[in-house]
Amino acid sequence: MNTTEPTVWRLTAAAAALTVLAGCASVSPDGLQGRAMEQAARSAPTLAAQLPPADLAARSDAQTQLQVWLAQPLTQDNAVRIALLHQPALRVRLAELGIQDAQRVQALQLPNPHLTLGRLVNGHEREIERSLSFGLLDLITLPWRTQRQAEARDHATLLAAQDVLQVAADARRAWLRAVAAEQVAAVHSRMVEAAEVGAELAQRMARTGNWSRLQWAREQALLSDAHASQARAQLAAATAREQLHRTLGLWGANARFTLASSLPALPPVPADVLNAQALETQALEQRLDLQAARRQLDTTSTRAGWAGAAALFGSVGLGYQRNTTTERDSGHRDTTRGWELELPLPLFDWGGTARTAARLEVERSAAQLQDTALRARTEVRTAWLTYRTSHDLARQQRDEVLPLRALIQNETTLRYNGMLASVWDLLAEARTAATASARAIEAQRDFWLADTDLRLALIGALDTPATTLGTATPAAAADSRGH
Amino acid sequence: MQRRQFFAGAATAVAATSVSRVALATLPEPATQASPDTAPPLVPPNGRPYQPVVTLNGWTTPWRMNQGVKEFHLVAEPVVREVAPGFFVNLWGYNGQSPGPTIEVVEGDRVRIFVTNRLPEHTTIHWHGQRLPNGMDGVGGLTQPAIQPGKTFVYEFVARRPGTFMYHPHADEMVQMAMGMMGLWITHPKGQHPHIAKVQRDYAFLINAFDVEPGSKTPKVNTMLEHNIWCWNSRAFPSISPLVARRGDRVRIRVGNLTMTNHPIHLHGHEFEVTGTDGGPVPPTARWPEVTTDVAVGQMRQIEFTADELGDWALHCHKSHHTMGPMGHGVPTMIGVDHKGLVGKIQKIVPDYMVMGERGMADMGAMEMPLPENTFPMMTGTGPFGPLEMGGMFTTLKVRQGLGANDYRDPGDFQHPPGTLAYEWQGAPAATPRPARVDAPGTAPTEPSARKPAASGHQH
Ligand SMILES: [Cu+2]
Repeated sequence: MNTTEPTVWRLTAAAAALTVLAGCASVSPDGLQGRAMEQAARSAPTLAAQLPPADLAARSDAQTQLQVWLAQPLTQDNAVRIALLHQPALRVRLAELGIQDAQRVQALQLPNPHLTLGRLVNGHEREIERSLSFGLLDLITLPWRTQRQAEARDHATLLAAQDVLQVAADARRAWLRAVAAEQVAAVHSRMVEAAEVGAELAQRMARTGNWSRLQWAREQALLSDAHASQARAQLAAATAREQLHRTLGLWGANARFTLASSLPALPPVPADVLNAQALETQALEQRLDLQAARRQLDTTSTRAGWAGAAALFGSVGLGYQRNTTTERDSGHRDTTRGWELELPLPLFDWGGTARTAARLEVERSAAQLQDTALRARTEVRTAWLTYRTSHDLARQQRDEVLPLRALIQNETTLRYNGMLASVWDLLAEARTAATASARAIEAQRDFWLADTDLRLALIGALDTPATTLGTATPAAAADSRGH
Repeated sequence: MQRRQFFAGAATAVAATSVSRVALATLPEPATQASPDTAPPLVPPNGRPYQPVVTLNGWTTPWRMNQGVKEFHLVAEPVVREVAPGFFVNLWGYNGQSPGPTIEVVEGDRVRIFVTNRLPEHTTIHWHGQRLPNGMDGVGGLTQPAIQPGKTFVYEFVARRPGTFMYHPHADEMVQMAMGMMGLWITHPKGQHPHIAKVQRDYAFLINAFDVEPGSKTPKVNTMLEHNIWCWNSRAFPSISPLVARRGDRVRIRVGNLTMTNHPIHLHGHEFEVTGTDGGPVPPTARWPEVTTDVAVGQMRQIEFTADELGDWALHCHKSHHTMGPMGHGVPTMIGVDHKGLVGKIQKIVPDYMVMGERGMADMGAMEMPLPENTFPMMTGTGPFGPLEMGGMFTTLKVRQGLGANDYRDPGDFQHPPGTLAYEWQGAPAATPRPARVDAPGTAPTEPSARKPAASGHQH
C-alpha cells in the first residue's frame, strides 16, 4: 500500500462526519409518534391528560388499561383515551409518520462513493484501474438539505399532531352523540309509557261504556305514534353508538360497554371565550395547520436559495484514480494516479427553469399560508358564534323551558285535583314535558359539540363542518286532550 | 259595618281622576264598605219610617237629607271581592263592594243619586223597574250621554211604586255586569199596603255568576253561559250567610237575577208564595203555594212564608251545577272504570296522581287536595254530618225558637230533637248484597247490540 490510499478514506470519513454533524441521520425510535403527541399536548393542554404516553413501553401498559376503562360507564375523557390508543385510522396515520421519518433520514445520507475497478488485458500489458468518485453536490448542499429535512419533519409532526387532535375531537363528538341519543331514547320510552297508560285507560273507558270507540281510537293512535317515535329514537341511539365504536376502534366484546348516563352539565361561558377578536389572534398563533403552512413556506424559501445552483452543478463529480499497469512479460508495474473533476457545460440549462419552479413553489406556499390563515379566522368566528348561540339555547332550555314544563305539569295536576282536568290531560302534559326534556338534551349536546369545535378551531383545522344548529322544528303538538 | 272616608283614603287615586274637589264639596260623602259580611239592617235615622231589609252579605247605604230630598252617592269603581274565604276576584262594583250597597227608600220619597264614575270606561245606571222620567232611565246613548271616567252625574226622581228593584249599568253592560256591577233597590210602602204584609225578617239578594278561570282572579267577560262561579251577592257557598228566623216569623226573601240564565230557587221544609215581582205586589188571589220558584233572567221575585219548622233548611238553586264551584266540563266520566294496575304507572309519570271519579265525584268533597292558586273548589263546605259537597248558590234557612227580634247571627248547627234524625238500620243486614250491575259493564244482553260482531274482537 502506498501513501495515497488514506486520502480516499479521509475523504469518506469527512463526509461521514458531516452527516453526523447534521444530526438528523437517525430514525426516531417511535417513528416521531412521541413528538406528535408532545406537540398535540402543547397545543391542547386540556387534552394532555388523555394523550397516550410518549414511550412505547408505557403505551402498551396503557393498552391493558382498556379493560379497566371499559368496565365502568364510559366517560368522555376515557372515550378520547381509547380512541387515541385504538383508532385504526390514527394508527395508520402515525405509522405513516414513522415511514416518512425513515425516508427523511434516508434522504439525508450521503450517496456512497463510487469505486470503479477495471481490469484490461492486451498482448503485453495487464491494466487494473481503480477509481473512487464522489458526487460533490450532495456534500456541498448538505447543510441546506439538513435544514430542509428538519423543517419537513416538523411539518409532518405538526400535521400528525393535528390528526391526533382531530381524532380526539371525533371521539368527543361521537361520545356526545351516543350519550345524548341514548338519553333521548329513554325519554321516548317515558312517552310510550304515558301513551300506554292513556290507551289502556281509554280501552277500559270504552268497555265500561263511558267513551266511544272514537275516543278510544284517538288514544290508540297516540300510542302508535309514540311507538313509532320510540323506534326511531332507538335506531338513532344504536347508530350513534355504532359510530362511537368506529371512532374508538372497538369491536366485539370491547364494544359491550355501558355509556355514561348523562352529558356533562352546562358550564358558565368561560371568560376566555368571551372575546371573539382575542380568539382569532390566539388561533393565528396556535393553530397547527398555520404552523405547518409557515414551516412549508420556510422550507420552500430555503430550497429556492440553492435550486439554481443545484441544477447547474447537479452533476459536479470529484474522482480519484489509481491505475496500475503491469507488463505481462517483465512483471514491471507502473502506477498512475490523479484527480478527475467532472463538470457539466451549462450550454442549454443555466438553472433558470429550476429557479423559476422554486420561486413559484415559494409563491404557492405563501398563498397556501394566506389561505390557511383566512380559513382559520372564519372557522374560529363560526365556531365562536355557534358556541355562544348553542350555550344560550341550551341554557334557555335548562333555565326556562324545563322549569316552565314542570310548572305546567304541576299546575295540570292541581287542576286534575280540582276535577278541572282529566287524567288524559295529565298524560298529555307528561308527554309534552318529555318532548321538552329531549329537546333540552339535544340542546346540551349541541353546546358540547360546539365547544369541541371551538376548542379544535383554536388549535387546528376543523376536519368536519362545525356543528350546525338546525332551525327548530315546532314542538310536538300536545293536542291530545282527553276530550 | 266598617266605613271609611272614601276619598280621604284614596287621595292619590283622586288626583288620577278628573273629579274636581270643589264639585265634590257639594256632593254627599259616599259611604263605602270593605267587609263581605252581612251588615245589620239600617234603621232609618230620618225620613219616613220603614222596616229595613237585610242584604245577604251586603249592606244598605246611608243617605243625606237635603231639603226633603234623600241624597245618595254611588261611586262606580274596581273592587276586589272575597267571593269565598281565600278566593278573591277582581270585580267592578260600587262603593267598595260588588254588589253595590242596597238603596232603601219609601214610596213617595224624592231621591237624588250622585253617580261618580271611577271605572276605566264610561258607564250609566239604569234603575231597573222604576217609574221615572225617561231621561232618568240611565240607558247610555238613548236617554243620556254616558258618564265618562271621572265624571259625576245626578239622577233625580220620585220612588213612585213600592217593591223590589235593581240598579245596574246600561252602558257596555255585558262587560260591566259580567264584572259584578249591580245593586238592590227596595222601595218600602208608605204606610200599610193591602198586598204587602208586615214581615219580621226581610232578606234580599241578587243572583250573579262569573267565569273565573281556575288560578286567575278576573272574570272572563265574554262568557255567555258557561260560568263557573255561581253567587248570591257575589258570594258562593259555604260563604253565603245563612238566613236566620225566629220560629213563627213571617219571612220575606227578595231575589233578583242578573245572570244570563234562569235559577229555580228552592226552599226546603216550607211552602211559600210569590208575593211580588219587579212589577209590584202580587194580589193574594193570584198567589199559589210553591217550594221552588224560577227566577228568570232580569227578574225579581219576592217570596214569603211563615218559618214554622225548626231546623237548618237548605235554600238553593235547583240547577245542580249551580251549587258547584268550577269543574272541568270536558273531563270524561270515570265512573265504573277500573284503575287497577294503572295507578302505579301513572304515578311513575305524574308523581302526585291520585285516582278520582272512579266511583263518582264525591271524592272531591272528601279529599282535600291542593288546587291551583286562588281557585274555588268544585265541592266544599262541611256540615255537622260531613262534607256538603256544594259550592255555589246554596245556603240555609235557620229557624230557631226564641231568637231575639234583631238577632241575625248564625245560631250554629241545629240540634235535632230525639227521634227526628235519620239513622242507620241496626238490624240484620239486607239479604245477599246484589251487585250494582247485573250485567258486565257496557253490555245489556236483553237489548239488541248495535255492534258488528267483528268489532267485539277488540274487547278483552
Ligand atoms: Cu242556578
